[in-house]
Amino acid sequence: MSKVRLSLRPSTQGYVLLAPALIVYLLFAVYPMIDVIRMSFSSWNGLSPQAKFVGVANYRAILTQDPVFWGALWNTLIWTTAAVIVPNLIAFGVALALNQNIPGRSSLRIIFYLPVIIASIAVATIWKWMYDPFFGLFNGLLTSWGLSGWIMDWLGDKKIALWSVFVAHLWQSVGFSMVLFLAGLQSVSTTLIEAARIDGAGRWGVFRYVTLPALVPTITVVIVLSLINSLKAFDIVYGMTGGGPAQSTQMLAMWAYTQSMQLGVFGRGAAVSVVLLLITLVVVIPYMRWMFKREDAVR
Amino acid sequence: MKMFSQAFRPVGSNKVDPVLVALWVAFILLAIIWIMPFLFIVFTSLKSNATVMGASAFSPPTELAFGNFVAAWNRGNFSTTAFNGIVITFIKVPLGLFVSAMAAYALAKVPMRMSRALFALFVFGTMLPFQVMLAPIFRQVNAFGLINTYPGIILPYLAFGIPYQVFILYGFFSAVPKELSEAARIDGASHFTIFRRIFLPISLPVLSALLILDFVATWNEFAMALVILQDPRMWTLPLGLMNFQSQFQSDYGQLNAAIIMTVLPAAIVYLMFQRYFVSGMTSGAVKE
Amino acid sequence: MKIRTAIAATLSVLAITAGLGLNSAAAEELKIWTLSFENESANVAWQKIIKEFEAANPDITISLENRSVDEHKAALRVAAQSSQGPDIFFMWAGLGLGGEFVNAGLSQPLDKYYDQYGWDKRLVGTAGSFSNIYEGGRHGVPYTFHGEGIYYNKGLFEKAGITQPPATYDELKADAAKLKDAGIPAMTFGGTVNWHLMRLMDVILEAKCGAEKHDTLMAMKVDWSTEACATASFQELNEWSQNYILSPFMGIDNSQSFNLFLAGRAAMMLEGDWLVSQLRGENRLADFDLFPFPTGTDRLYGFAEYLYVSSKSSKADAAAKFLDYMLSDTVQQDNLGAFGSISINANVKYEKVDPLDQKWMDIFAKYTKIYMNGDQAFPLDVTTEYFRVINEVASGNIKPDAAGKTLQTFIANR
Repeated sequence: MSKVRLSLRPSTQGYVLLAPALIVYLLFAVYPMIDVIRMSFSSWNGLSPQAKFVGVANYRAILTQDPVFWGALWNTLIWTTAAVIVPNLIAFGVALALNQNIPGRSSLRIIFYLPVIIASIAVATIWKWMYDPFFGLFNGLLTSWGLSGWIMDWLGDKKIALWSVFVAHLWQSVGFSMVLFLAGLQSVSTTLIEAARIDGAGRWGVFRYVTLPALVPTITVVIVLSLINSLKAFDIVYGMTGGGPAQSTQMLAMWAYTQSMQLGVFGRGAAVSVVLLLITLVVVIPYMRWMFKREDAVR
Repeated sequence: MKMFSQAFRPVGSNKVDPVLVALWVAFILLAIIWIMPFLFIVFTSLKSNATVMGASAFSPPTELAFGNFVAAWNRGNFSTTAFNGIVITFIKVPLGLFVSAMAAYALAKVPMRMSRALFALFVFGTMLPFQVMLAPIFRQVNAFGLINTYPGIILPYLAFGIPYQVFILYGFFSAVPKELSEAARIDGASHFTIFRRIFLPISLPVLSALLILDFVATWNEFAMALVILQDPRMWTLPLGLMNFQSQFQSDYGQLNAAIIMTVLPAAIVYLMFQRYFVSGMTSGAVKE
Repeated sequence: MKIRTAIAATLSVLAITAGLGLNSAAAEELKIWTLSFENESANVAWQKIIKEFEAANPDITISLENRSVDEHKAALRVAAQSSQGPDIFFMWAGLGLGGEFVNAGLSQPLDKYYDQYGWDKRLVGTAGSFSNIYEGGRHGVPYTFHGEGIYYNKGLFEKAGITQPPATYDELKADAAKLKDAGIPAMTFGGTVNWHLMRLMDVILEAKCGAEKHDTLMAMKVDWSTEACATASFQELNEWSQNYILSPFMGIDNSQSFNLFLAGRAAMMLEGDWLVSQLRGENRLADFDLFPFPTGTDRLYGFAEYLYVSSKSSKADAAAKFLDYMLSDTVQQDNLGAFGSISINANVKYEKVDPLDQKWMDIFAKYTKIYMNGDQAFPLDVTTEYFRVINEVASGNIKPDAAGKTLQTFIANR
């Protein structure tokens, strides 16, 4: 047995070690990506045996005729923007605070991180219940505070539904960025801070000239990760509103799913997927280049 | 009050900082807001439906309706969904880690042509959201005839889990000094042996961190399971919960009991191994 | 003559082999996919019927899979492409929902079994008639036959000074206004499940457009944007939602809406005959009464639910055997009231019925024609858009006079 192995060239051994991971990855992650592009140029209802090539008809349909697509695209973009800014600012503040010498740090960290490890679909269920217009927490609180005029149909009112869902997402995602920031803050050298203090730098000065510059890589990573995470927004919308009311909380990932898997227009669903893939690539490719450059610089 | 004796003092200062104290108070308030949803869920899960609809929303339950948990367990088919979750997680997580470790070792330590391009391909995968292409994944799994089967869900889970793990382990293996493996190669050991005897053991801390992280992620996954596991007998906990919600939304007490039962395993794992979470997340994402 | 005997001979040989096949096979497994019904007694009855059938037919075992409505539709679609599908599946009858699956070739014609078991002799005519509407043979057997009407809280009607149920649509609206004046929301709906609010649109269309026009609209044969009655209907829907529906309603589902109805928060609910058994389950039958939605036409709002045999099933004989059992006089008699207030079997005897059940029976006896729910008449993608437009109109985001045009644009683009 060992003889056979020894007889393999080192690079062949490498390929053997690599093969299982590579094959599974190519078959079930890379191939579907190619398939979705191909599918976006064809028409298939999920029932008939053959798909038909239709050129760019699906793209034309989603861009000019689909009453939901533009709303879903807009929601995705606005959601992504908000998801990059709001939770990360809070997370940054929380991390800075947790990095100070205050009592109860570890319990506080646990509290803020706990929502992260909960299934998104459970987060959706929890918040949907809190938003219940008749018996939920929010309207209950408002009533008991004598603010019944503020009572709202949190998930049923088109104007606020998306933001109600976003608050649930916020609750879930702050802890994730917080941990990353905390790790970044650990790497800020205390000697530097002390030196700056001795030089007469105030609280703001230390932050501005020592802490912040040291955190730039962390901030980049956090921003990119939350960008990608928010493009994925699926579970929480599916669980809380299902895209409603009147498709006003629909997002691209879920609209692609709805078109393909529920309405059976696979071609259009694929076209929506491709649009979302392109948006993702706009983020991913520059980030990868930045990362590889940094890697090379470290070496 | 020993805990407080050193508190509120910034680095390099011996005085209590009043700004820090004020901040701390505000911070405690924020933490209370953060934990509110959990309290509300626990309270509701112990109330009967009549109490939920009658009494104020945030009052603690007066008589504990533990029956909600029993009823939710039965109606929600929790024995089935928990079992499926365990089978899928316990196969997928170790298998994925082992396969990823092999690949990461090959990419980091075996001289191969294309190794850099292959690594880039994996890195690309870490950022590829599968939520974007649920339908084609479904088609691919279906082409293998694996809809509603354990392999049918485990294979795509592997495919989308491997890149991140390869990425992290690659970083770890790259940092291992050359001398360690070189010496063994001179002794005539194959890469298989070196991987198993040297690299696997030293990567145990990273592997355990990834294991915990991946356990929770797999346990919680919803979207992929939604398209591939259509048969209720194959459902995992998140699918069971979703179905419970759409069927029994108005049985508030039981619904909240179902939420707690779905969430608890991951929460317990987190509380037990929280140290690993931080290292698992940060070892790859934020390298110094 | 020769040909006939030849056919007869072949048939009998086939029958024998089929019979042999059935007997020699070790326990065939029949997969049945159906909904997890809101009405718990239906789920219980299914389990019981299956157990009894298995006891009587040791060579057949049955596995039952239940899903909620949307998941069920998605799963069937998926099953169309894989070999994992069911042998028998639940689906509504009608050219929209049922038709989509039948036209796609997912159901196999059951003419042979209709003859063999003589099902027509025991089926209620209107219920069985849906099997004839598809091309290429008779598809599916009736599982239930439902009517939908207005349930009302007697106490609240009295409080608002309403002495008898409205006979016309205008009277109904006048009553709604009376209720409003008394501080009582007239109706309750759950908006998250889009089909619940759609019912109101359906019945208004019937009232405003009349039977014939309503049908052509649902068949997409006339233009929604130019039909005055369609615009008028959207106008009515908007009025109802602004004034007479317990608000907020877009953020709750149908079961929550039922809870509110039980709690006396609204006076009326547009629901099917199955609500009687739900009310019975809550011990609240005495507090409520019902009447058909007054539309001025001679049709009842309702639909049939069918059980189809999958074209992919290789166990059609066993499937038909189960269906025959399901439709039989004894099973239908034993489980009377579990699936709906009336049985699809005409031989069933009704005794000791509650007054509300009796009401339904009178209604069913009175009407011979029905009009269907919109989501069973439209194809799926149009239904999705129909839902969206209804929700937008109800929440005031699309003006009623623009609604028809929005829907028509979508239909024209298909």
